[in-house]
Amino acid sequence: MRKASIIFGFIFAILAVILAVLPLYKFAFIPAILAFVLGVLVFIKSKKEGLSTHTIQIIFLLTIIALGLATYKAVFSTTEVGDTEQLEQREKESEEKSIEELEDLDLDFE
Amino acid sequence: MKSTITTLLAFFTLFFAFGQDNKAFTAGESLTFSASFKIAGILTDIAEVKMQTSEIKTSSSALLRLKCTASTYSNFDSFFKIRDLYESYVNPRTITPYLYNREISEGGYYKYVKYKYNHKTNLVNSLIRKKSKNIKSGFWDRKNDVKINSGTRDIVSTIYKLRTLDIKKATIGASDTFTVLFDNKETKFSFKLLEKETINTAIGKKECYKLAINLIGSSVLKGSNSNILWLTADENKIPVYAKFAVAVGSGELKIKSATGLKN
Repeated sequence: MRKASIIFGFIFAILAVILAVLPLYKFAFIPAILAFVLGVLVFIKSKKEGLSTHTIQIIFLLTIIALGLATYKAVFSTTEVGDTEQLEQREKESEEKSIEELEDLDLDFE
Repeated sequence: MKSTITTLLAFFTLFFAFGQDNKAFTAGESLTFSASFKIAGILTDIAEVKMQTSEIKTSSSALLRLKCTASTYSNFDSFFKIRDLYESYVNPRTITPYLYNREISEGGYYKYVKYKYNHKTNLVNSLIRKKSKNIKSGFWDRKNDVKINSGTRDIVSTIYKLRTLDIKKATIGASDTFTVLFDNKETKFSFKLLEKETINTAIGKKECYKLAINLIGSSVLKGSNSNILWLTADENKIPVYAKFAVAVGSGELKIKSATGLKN
């Protein structure tokens, strides 16, 4: 039970760090909380049984990194459109080409 | 007599009214939206969608250019970059399309579609271009003449045409059908007026027409009333909010700003 909790705690903590780095950082909170809960449970159990808590400390460390990064991104990151220079260029070219093509079309509305 | 009046009433209420002149928008209008997608139950902003109109002059006439662009936000660019351009050149009064261009660039996938309409013969001269490594030019072209029904439009002009309809005369439950040419296939969309609803938007609290969109004979859009569009219940009929459900999930489109409005 203790081993399984540590393994799952690790998996969730690593997953939280990966998600926190990705643009999907909002999802990092879910595995981070799960990793934290598992970490606390294993920590209490280990203390009672007098076992080592070193691995649990790593779970906590990863969870703190993931939560910190995800919170920082949630507060400070702004949703901005990236480089649209190419798109603007395409828009211009398309307009010029379209005007040429419209000249050849039979526009019967006037 | 009673049945004739009922039929006439049903006719007028069922259809919002075809052949409406455009009183909803003019050249110089710019609408900006934020598109978000629901992943694991959490809405994430992924792209910005812009709808802009401008006047285009040829030697013989003046047309309206309806342009829609979609660009992913910078944090998504390195994972799945989207830079899509959809445009339709239309009659400013009736929103009848004459030329349609669609150039999509989505995470390395490229496609270009061009439709040239001939409304006298009801034919669309279509060109579909894709990237291909097997062809010297690097592009694979397919040219076709597609027979269409009168009144068939492309997706961009259909969205704008919807805004020109006299929805205020329609009763709750009234519906209308549009035929849209997409990927050389005619697809029927139905719009049903569900109710009038006041919602909070980035451009203020607005009374809106709540319209349910359904795709007839296709399973692209999920659910019967899961795809909903809110148009302001004024002369501008701005699309301020949309909810959509597709096979891979669901999302929202929310207005961020609206400038150059006609009314």
